[in-house]
Amino acid sequence: MMELINTLISTMMSNQVSIPLAEPILELLRDIPLVGEMIALILWRPIFAALICPGLTVGGILLLFFPWIERKLCGRIQWRVGPHEIVWWLGGLIQILADTLRFLFQEVIVHKDAHKHYFLQFPFLSFIAFLLPLLFIPAGNIVAIESPYAIQIMLALICLFPVFILGLGWASNSRFSFIGTVREAFMYFAYEVSFIIAILAMIVLYGTSDMVSIVDKQSIWGIALNPIAALAFFIAAAMATSRLPFEIAEADQEVAAGPHVEYSGIAFGLIYVMCYEKAYVLSGLMTVLFLGGGSAPYIPVITDLLAPLLGDLWGAMWFVLKTIIVMTTLFVLRTIYPRYRLDQGLSIGWGAMLGLSVIALALSLALVAGGVIVI
Amino acid sequence: MKKVMVPDQSTGEKVIRHAAAIGVTMKESVYPLTATVFYPKERKKMPDNLRGYLMFDLDKCISCWQCAFICPANAIRMKEAPNNRYYPTVDYGKCIFCHFCIDSCSGGALMSTKIHDVAYKDMDEMVTLTEEMIEPPEIIREDKKTVEYVIDKKDLHLKRRKEVDTLLVENIPPVEIPMVSQCVDRGSCLACRVCERVCESGAVSSSTENGIIRMKIDTEKCTGCGLCVKECSMQILRLVRK
Repeated sequence: MMELINTLISTMMSNQVSIPLAEPILELLRDIPLVGEMIALILWRPIFAALICPGLTVGGILLLFFPWIERKLCGRIQWRVGPHEIVWWLGGLIQILADTLRFLFQEVIVHKDAHKHYFLQFPFLSFIAFLLPLLFIPAGNIVAIESPYAIQIMLALICLFPVFILGLGWASNSRFSFIGTVREAFMYFAYEVSFIIAILAMIVLYGTSDMVSIVDKQSIWGIALNPIAALAFFIAAAMATSRLPFEIAEADQEVAAGPHVEYSGIAFGLIYVMCYEKAYVLSGLMTVLFLGGGSAPYIPVITDLLAPLLGDLWGAMWFVLKTIIVMTTLFVLRTIYPRYRLDQGLSIGWGAMLGLSVIALALSLALVAGGVIVI
Repeated sequence: MKKVMVPDQSTGEKVIRHAAAIGVTMKESVYPLTATVFYPKERKKMPDNLRGYLMFDLDKCISCWQCAFICPANAIRMKEAPNNRYYPTVDYGKCIFCHFCIDSCSGGALMSTKIHDVAYKDMDEMVTLTEEMIEPPEIIREDKKTVEYVIDKKDLHLKRRKEVDTLLVENIPPVEIPMVSQCVDRGSCLACRVCERVCESGAVSSSTENGIIRMKIDTEKCTGCGLCVKECSMQILRLVRK
């Protein structure tokens, strides 16, 4: 038994995340019996990736503050103010925290026609589709699972999102949520094909679907190599997150909240953050595929000063920074374009975007075959 | 019938338009214009001729009823005061703030203010009595700044000044056109003496000579309020310029 624990600890100790800045404190804590082991566990690379960055902690913080960033920024662009009254001297920073608290204490109403078990389970299960893909995204040197099929597994997990949305729309068993569900299903098929082809173009270009080696291979960022694929991926991500201008499924003005119309309380809160979860996962994927993942550009004084201090966190920080930029761009789209109708959305998905992604694939093939890029 | 179609644009034009839209967004995210006024903390500067809450000057009122007659929403009712004169009361539940009453007031007794944020607890309270209209309503002022909307050649922007705007405006008394009541068809007069009774200034008088009643309008005393014109049963009285 003791041998097993010792092996485990030695395995953990051999693969620790190094943060030189926090080393003095960690050194002190390691001497305390149980706390030391716990720190060793948390700092173990796979666990650190799953729990802290890019996993649960960073994801949770983004979910808590990103809606605020979005609302504040969009408000600014549209000549409004955005959240303001809650902690006005911070500009309404904890608005989402306040909303979450309100949702937590609100009654979750399950109406009598709903399929009770599915109705309550799907909002919580949709967290799986958010957390599992994060295991494959490398934030700098930190990655939970390194696999040669990382992108394929991620795609499969990302494709679970619409399944949960369709499921909860179906479990609601109400005509309004059915309308929203059908609209969601239409859009799902419209973007999914071109989304996958766009990723395929990048896999062809890099010659691997291992995320870590994809990041290593990007001496030139993917967006410069194949901008068309980046554009197709970006539009598909905008469709997948179902925010404006592709907020077709849950169009507030016409079909209320689409599939979520029957939800209330914390169940609604979980569904409300679902598109932000999806945006985080897709932006992470976009950062890895097109923006060089956690590779940091060289900035004269700052890099020399901070990179040795932060150690592994330096790359992770750049990854999160790039992800936030991609997410912001994704959400600022709502201020530029009005919402498309369902038929327009479908024609964009099956027409222009499919064309774009096929052109992107052809471009990748041409680049590889022409020997411009050596895999 | 003309059908509304999507404008026919080439791909180049479309790209330019998309780029322009993105450019505007970028510009606004860095240097935005804001149209929001944080209302209780600051107030928008209203123009002096804003149609707001009504105020009343008792001394100038000649009880001519013109405000009550002209009110399209029937919000103004005349109530008898202890001095046997009639003064207006305003029901703000009905008032549509057209300010016809102010325009029609011959003595300039009704006045406009810039007050536009008065709250009532119930409908009965909205009937504002004459004595409540003499003083401006009590307002708790939380504002420290005055915001002015400035529309220049380029765009709209807000100008914030650290001052408290006075909500009472100086009312310019109306330019009086001296009018006088005149009988245009003496032959049709019934001598019902309604005009004599309604006249507030005592300009109309009657005299009996040989059993014939003669009505007389004193042009010096007549204020031109038009009450007799309104009340004349034969409609033979007119207001004419003095």
